[in-house]
Amino acid sequence: MNMKDRRIQKLAIANRGEVAVRIIHACRELGIRTVLLHSEVDQATRAWRLADERVCIGPAPSAESYLNIEACVRGALAGGADAVHPGFGFLSENAAFARAVIDAGLIWVGPPADAIEAAGDKISAKKLVADAQAPTVPGYMGEDQRIETLVEQAARIGFPVIVKAAAGGGGRGMKVIRSRSEAPDLIASAQREGQAAFGSPVVFLEKYLDRAKHIEVQVFGDFTGEVSYLMERECSVQRRHQKIIEEALSPSLTPELRRAMGEAAVRLAEKAKYESAGTVEFLLQDDKFYFLEMNTRLQVEHPVTEMVLGVDLVKAQILNAARAFQVWPQESLQARGHSIECRIYAEDAYAGGLPSTGLLVGTHWPEGPGRRFEVGVEAGDEVTPFYDPMIAKVIVWDESRLRAIRKMQSVLADSVVMGVETNIPFLREMLAHPEFTEGRMTTQFVGQHFPEGLAGADYLARRHNDLTRAFANAAKAQASRVAGEAMGGSDPTRSVWSTPWRLM
Amino acid sequence: MSSPTQLSQSPAMTAVEFEFEGRRYKGFVARKGSDTWYHVDGRTWKETTNTRRRSSAGTSTLEDPGLVKAPMPGKIVKLMKAVGAEVKAGEVVVVMEAMKMEYTLKSASDGRITEIRCSVGEQVSLGTELVRLEINS
Repeated sequence: MNMKDRRIQKLAIANRGEVAVRIIHACRELGIRTVLLHSEVDQATRAWRLADERVCIGPAPSAESYLNIEACVRGALAGGADAVHPGFGFLSENAAFARAVIDAGLIWVGPPADAIEAAGDKISAKKLVADAQAPTVPGYMGEDQRIETLVEQAARIGFPVIVKAAAGGGGRGMKVIRSRSEAPDLIASAQREGQAAFGSPVVFLEKYLDRAKHIEVQVFGDFTGEVSYLMERECSVQRRHQKIIEEALSPSLTPELRRAMGEAAVRLAEKAKYESAGTVEFLLQDDKFYFLEMNTRLQVEHPVTEMVLGVDLVKAQILNAARAFQVWPQESLQARGHSIECRIYAEDAYAGGLPSTGLLVGTHWPEGPGRRFEVGVEAGDEVTPFYDPMIAKVIVWDESRLRAIRKMQSVLADSVVMGVETNIPFLREMLAHPEFTEGRMTTQFVGQHFPEGLAGADYLARRHNDLTRAFANAAKAQASRVAGEAMGGSDPTRSVWSTPWRLM
Repeated sequence: MSSPTQLSQSPAMTAVEFEFEGRRYKGFVARKGSDTWYHVDGRTWKETTNTRRRSSAGTSTLEDPGLVKAPMPGKIVKLMKAVGAEVKAGEVVVVMEAMKMEYTLKSASDGRITEIRCSVGEQVSLGTELVRLEINS
């Protein structure tokens, strides 16, 4: 690798939406020009308008554009870029892409390809985790499949235990064992199901974490090999493994646990010779933490870490790639206050989260102190069915967790998206739930309390009440009044539907 | 041609001030085709003047039970049944994908499939008729 000239003058962004905008902002502050690599349908987006230059890399389906390594590399070269930032999702954790970028003579903004493979791949990560002495979910994967042995092993792990068909998947051949007395029957049943469904009766056992929290540690390594941890984020509010609300710090960690998890994450990153931003995900239950996986990229929820620590992770990534960065010394990293992020998804909360697409007719994000809006689309843009439904992120910071929750409630109440349905009402219900406000939420939170989202008469009644009906009537009355005035010839441009109206 | 501060200011949204039970509220209203969007007091919703389209809130009950339609624009991922196959109410007939998530479309009633009007990989729009059934009476 050429170590002499690592200056980045023009950076290509192999991504879209709000993260592309985030990277453009960082580049502008660093005096770096940007080239947005975009698909055919992504012209009407905020990133397209903000980027210095654009290169269309293919049709709408991501397999032919954002996931096409050759198209992305060619696009970066055609745009005259000297570096590539992959954002998150798409090719961001693809070691082959990292290598292709470097082989093309470009700077890769991210961890080395070897580190992506070592830490990101589930199998090789297992070895790494053992080397780093990070705890994993206790289990039994032995060859001895006699019922007595399995029952003994289950008792050793500690109930509840989950028994899974080794060849299985999709929930079949999977049972939760809650006590020793029911263990023999359930294990035998799982073996039978495994044989019937997958042709193998082999099962394994794992401790069943029924009230675990999702806690992840942000790490950052610089090019000299120095690694620090930037505390944690809690992302227990998720649905089908899709995170919805994230916060920093976690309300559930003692300083001792925080340090233990942080140091375990740093050991793991060091073993992987990790560089740039990365996240080590853990499950936490009964004050014990277990390694889940490592994400070898910037996370969607990185802003909450930036808010409480006063750092800029994207600029740090770019500067590190340019060999002009030293990681923050561990002792200098002190969190202050509390930050929460809500992901705004284009979906109908009242219809079980069905995706909602179409032309955005209006948006309003209420600015104010301690508020940050990461927005990918604006009025006049189209929300298409081709990509992730996340159209924006709302991030708040305040002095305490309770104040941050209150601020988020108020900000969401004043946030307006018209043209597509959003999950904003769903977010507000979750933020108001006592299990969330008290910080007791686990990864089961959404499934337990909102299995159908906001589908149901109760929530609909809350949306449509006397006030909203009165408002709709007032709006109609104003519309016909203005239309009437316009008919009278006083001012034909004053139709209520077309009057440009600026928000203060 | 692009300026760093080129931000649209929601030209289609209009402010409406009104009084309700002694309090003043300020809301917004916008129109898109047959939809009118409202926002007041932390709530956003739309009303559709064309009554033939289903409203956004909740699932429609007036749909033809002999039809499986696309509830959103997206791609057909899998067809679970062939023409002539018997299906039970609640059985999955089509799997669609939109915004990286898979959605299963189920039959509303028992019956036999008479027609399949889509193919795997096809991009369909909202409301497209995908599968037709002959309902068992």
